[in-house]
Amino acid sequence: MSARPELIVVEGVTKRYLTSSGPVEALHDVSLTVEEGAFCTLIGPSGCGKSTLLGMLGGLVAPDQGRLLVEGRPVTGPDPRRVATVFQEAGLFPWRTTLQNVEFGLELQGVPAERRRKTATELLGPLGLAGFAVRYPRELSGGMKQRVAIGRALALDAKILLMDEPFGALDEQTRVLMGEWLLDIWRRTRKTVIFVTHSLHEALVLSTRVAVMTARPGRIKATLDLAMEYPRSMESSEMVTLRAKLWSEIREESLRAMR
Amino acid sequence: MTVVGLRLALLALLLAIWEIAGRLVNPLLGVPPSAVVPALRDLLRLQSYPDLPASILLTLREIGAAYALSVAAGLACGFMLGMHRLAGRAWGPMLAALYAVPAVVWYPSLMLFFGLDAASKIAFGFLLGFFPIALAVLAGIRQVSPQLVVVARAYGAGTVTVFRRVMLPAMLFTLVGGLRTGLALCVIGVVVGEILGSKAGMGALINHAYGLLRTADYVALVLVTLVMVVGSDVLASLLERRARRWTD
Repeated sequence: MSARPELIVVEGVTKRYLTSSGPVEALHDVSLTVEEGAFCTLIGPSGCGKSTLLGMLGGLVAPDQGRLLVEGRPVTGPDPRRVATVFQEAGLFPWRTTLQNVEFGLELQGVPAERRRKTATELLGPLGLAGFAVRYPRELSGGMKQRVAIGRALALDAKILLMDEPFGALDEQTRVLMGEWLLDIWRRTRKTVIFVTHSLHEALVLSTRVAVMTARPGRIKATLDLAMEYPRSMESSEMVTLRAKLWSEIREESLRAMR
Repeated sequence: MTVVGLRLALLALLLAIWEIAGRLVNPLLGVPPSAVVPALRDLLRLQSYPDLPASILLTLREIGAAYALSVAAGLACGFMLGMHRLAGRAWGPMLAALYAVPAVVWYPSLMLFFGLDAASKIAFGFLLGFFPIALAVLAGIRQVSPQLVVVARAYGAGTVTVFRRVMLPAMLFTLVGGLRTGLALCVIGVVVGEILGSKAGMGALINHAYGLLRTADYVALVLVTLVMVVGSDVLASLLERRARRWTD
């Protein structure tokens, strides 16, 4: 038994989708546990069901078999007080300003206007959006939009942050900087993060645990625990070894996914 | 200011052309603006057509009734087809096809059905106003990004909240555009209906003046109708602005 409680438990989860060419098994018997405060990355080839698994944890997708527990309670639907989600596309409401977008979740929870405005305004600084409170999404760059989306999730002050390839649509440089920024936020807020990515670099630099998924139907192929201190350098011998190990796991699955 | 100036300039130019052209043709057929002014004065003093206020009121009431019906039926029908996938796929294209039929072909049967009085005008106005509203709702629903709906659900929104916070704002421009077009077409429907056959209303007065070749009176009546139409559009644009403020 680990000293820290297991915040998230996924047990034997299976999911099939009906498509026009018959049923497709997206996830097969997936089990995973995540401790409180962990930064857990799901990595694997396209279509391996990473997003489906994240959708299940967020309560947006129901499993066909198996169960998912958050803080010991089964997930039955979206629960923004405990789980906040950041999607691949920022998904900002174009008719809302930065501040109003960040406030969205609190507004739905019925938090009084003054209080949610205060919460959102305080977030803008760390988000690097201090001067952009009353701008609309169309006036923001891709990286800024994604930070607003992350702000919208952080404003909920949920324990768990689900991130579905949040930096996937950004260019390489912005992506690296956003990763460093996220790391800083995570270390300050001590949230439990489940992070979906295709990027080995992101997985190695950010995570305390990496779960490699197989090609469809998705299963957990291997998990790696990373104990190195932050910030991590990709040049250290430990990282170089880990990178090679992780790549060999993923390479095999990516090849299978391509066939 | 430049915009207003340019508008006035165009108006002045058109009036000048009208004045010159109106003086060249048979005075029974052509009326220059200078001849319209006294006719308009007589009209507004209720000397040429004492029943002008009653006619305006009747036409406005017909427009109001036709528009209320168009909005109610258009929204109901549009949302039903838009929210229900099978219904939308089955009947949406039929709606668009019906809209393409020149509505005036229905008018004779509307007169047979509803008689010469207000009912047939309201029916015709409704027939014209209904389609753009229903189709705007359909188009608007299609514009709503499914991704934003997923985001809202993840943040705890139920069906009603998704509708109010995501769908309505996302489709607002299209919806309001349809409501505005619907109003314009209701006005056209009612006035055309009156001109095609009626005993009262602005269209009946226009018909009367035109039938008796009282051309100056006819033009004056048309001007009054024009003011009503422009007025209704101004009203609609004010509502549009309110709606936009409401979603912010």
